[in-house]
Amino acid sequence: MTSLEFDPAATVGMTTPAEPVATENERAGLATWRAFRTEPLGLISLGILALLVVVAIAAPLLAPYPASYGTDVLKPPSLDYLFGTDSLGRDVLGEVIWGTQQSLLVAVSASVIAIAFGTLVAVLGAYFRKLDGFISVIVDLTLSLPVLPLMILIAALIGPSTGTIIGVVAAFSWPEVTRLVRSQALTVVNLPYVDAARLMTTSPLWIISKHIVPAVTPVIVVSVVVTASRAVLSAAGLAFLGLGDPTTWSWGRILYEAQQSGAMSSAWWLTLFPSIAILLLVLSATLLSIAYNDARNPRNRAR
Amino acid sequence: MPRSSFILRRLGRSVFTIWFAVTVTFLLLRLLPGDPALAVASPNMTDEARAALLTQYGLDKPLIVQYGLYLAQLIQGNFGVSFTQSVPVMDVLLQRLPWTLLLTVTALVLTTAIGIPLGVLAASKKGRFLDKIVQVIGVTGQSIFVPSIGVLLLFVFGLTLRWLPIGGAYDTDAYGLDWYGSVASHLVLPAVSLMLIQLGSYVLTMRSTLIEALGEDYVTLAKANGLPYRRILWKHALRNALLPTTTLIGLQLGFLVGGAVLTETVFAYPGIGRGIYEAVTQLDFPVLQGAFLLLAITVVVANMLTDIVYGFLDPRVKTS
Repeated sequence: MTSLEFDPAATVGMTTPAEPVATENERAGLATWRAFRTEPLGLISLGILALLVVVAIAAPLLAPYPASYGTDVLKPPSLDYLFGTDSLGRDVLGEVIWGTQQSLLVAVSASVIAIAFGTLVAVLGAYFRKLDGFISVIVDLTLSLPVLPLMILIAALIGPSTGTIIGVVAAFSWPEVTRLVRSQALTVVNLPYVDAARLMTTSPLWIISKHIVPAVTPVIVVSVVVTASRAVLSAAGLAFLGLGDPTTWSWGRILYEAQQSGAMSSAWWLTLFPSIAILLLVLSATLLSIAYNDARNPRNRAR
Repeated sequence: MPRSSFILRRLGRSVFTIWFAVTVTFLLLRLLPGDPALAVASPNMTDEARAALLTQYGLDKPLIVQYGLYLAQLIQGNFGVSFTQSVPVMDVLLQRLPWTLLLTVTALVLTTAIGIPLGVLAASKKGRFLDKIVQVIGVTGQSIFVPSIGVLLLFVFGLTLRWLPIGGAYDTDAYGLDWYGSVASHLVLPAVSLMLIQLGSYVLTMRSTLIEALGEDYVTLAKANGLPYRRILWKHALRNALLPTTTLIGLQLGFLVGGAVLTETVFAYPGIGRGIYEAVTQLDFPVLQGAFLLLAITVVVANMLTDIVYGFLDPRVKTS
C-alpha cells in the first residue's frame, strides 16, 4: 500500500537515525529495492522519468530543431503534426521534445548545485553549533520571502540565458534542502557513535564525510527529487514570464510564445502538450519519492 | 510571557525580516554583473545621463555609503521612478496592490474553506477508496504548473461555455452594484486557479495531523465515554489538528504570491503580478525591484498577523 502523505522530513525522522553504514548499506539498499519493486505507482513513475530522460537525450534523432517558419500556421493536431503547429508554423511536437532536454538540464543542474550547497551548509551547521544559529536564521528568512519575484528581478538584471536560470533557481532552492537535511543531521550529531568517532580522530572533515553525510543520505535522495521538481516549476515560471533562454526551447517558452501571440486559449494544443509534459515530470518525481520513502521504511516493509 | 511582549517580539522579527529582504536586494543589485544605474533608470539612457544618475544616487560612493543612502530612500517610501510611465514606482504599485490582495485573500479563503473539510473527510475514511481519491487529487494538485490550470479554466469556462469573462478585473462600462458584480465574476477563474494549486498541501496536512490527533489518548477516552464519533472528530480532534494547518498558511504565503504573479499574467488581472510581467517585457527594473520589496513586506506582515492569531488560539505559544 502506498501512503501518499508527502512529508519527507517526518517520514525520515520516524526511522532509527543510526543508519547502517558501509557494508550494511548494500543490504539495506537491496531490501529497499525489493520493497520498491512491488509498488506499481513507484515503478510507473520511474518508467515515465526514464522515458523523459531518453527523449531528452535522443531529441536530435526524434525531431529536427524547430527553428524555421512554416506556412502551416496554428494547425490543430493532425497526422502530419501530431501536436499541431504554433503561430509561426513550427511543429509543437518538436518544441516539446527539445523542451524536454532543456527542462531536464535545468532541473538536474540547479538541483545538483542546490543539494550540494544545501547539504554542506546543513552538516556544517549541525557539527559546528556556533554556525548553526546564523545558518538557521538565514534559511528561515529566505523561506519566508516570496522568492519568485526576487528570481524575476535577478534574471532580468543579468539577462536571460540557460546559465542564469540554473543559477537563480539553485540560489533559491538550497534553503529548503538545508532545512530538510539539517533536522536529520542534528539528531545524528548527538548520537553516541559520533562521540566515539570524536575520540578516534580530531578531524571534523573525516567525521562529517564518513559518519554524518552517510547517515543523512536518505534525506538527500528525497530532497533531490523534491528540489528537482520544484526547479522545473520555477524554471517554467521564469520562462513563462519571458525570462527563459531565447535561443533554446523549453516547456515554459512554448507557453510564453503562445501567450505573446495571443493564441494561448484559442489554440488549445499550444498549452495542453507542454502542460502535460510538466505535469508528468513533476508528478512522477513526487510519486517516486513517496514510493522510495515507503520502501525504505522498515515499518512498512515488515507488514 | 504576557501577550503584549509576545506581539512586540513578533513585530521585531518582522522588521528584521524586511531589513533582510532589503539588504539582499541591495547586495544583489550592486554585486551581480549588470549596471547598477539600470535599477533606477532606462537601459536606453545616454552616457552623460548615466553619469549624472550615478552621482545623483550616490552610486560613485563607497558601498557602505550607498547602502545607507539606499536604506534612507526606502524608509521615505522612495522606490525610484518607473521609466516607462515616468511616475514614482510606489504610485504604480500601490494602485495594483488592492487587486493582488483581493485575489490572494479570496484564494486563501477558498483553499481553507474547501481544503480543511476535504482533509477531515479523508482522515475519517482513512485507507478507504474516498481517502485514496482525495490523496491522489492532493498530490496531483501540487504538481500542476499554475498557468496550465489557468488556461484550462479559461478555455472551458471563458471561451467554450462563455459563463465567465476571460480577462481583466472588471467591466469598464459597469457602475454601482453592477460594478461589484463584474468584479466578482472576473475574480472567479483566477481565484479558483490559485486555489487549486494550493489545495493539495492543505488537504494532505489536515489529513495527516488529524489522523495523528485521532490516535491520541483523549480520543480513546472520549470513545470510552461513549461520545458519538462525529462529535469526537469535529469537536475534539479537529480543534487540535487545526493548529498546524494554521501555521501552514504562513509557510505557504510566499508560494501563494508566486502563484498570483503567474495567474495574474494568464488572466491579464491588473495586480502586481501582471505589473511584473509587463515590467519584464519593458525591462523596467525599478518596478521589478519595488514589486519584490512590496510583496515581501506584504507577506511578512500577513505572516506576523497569522502568528499573532495563532498565539491567541494556542495558549501554549504565550507561555513558552
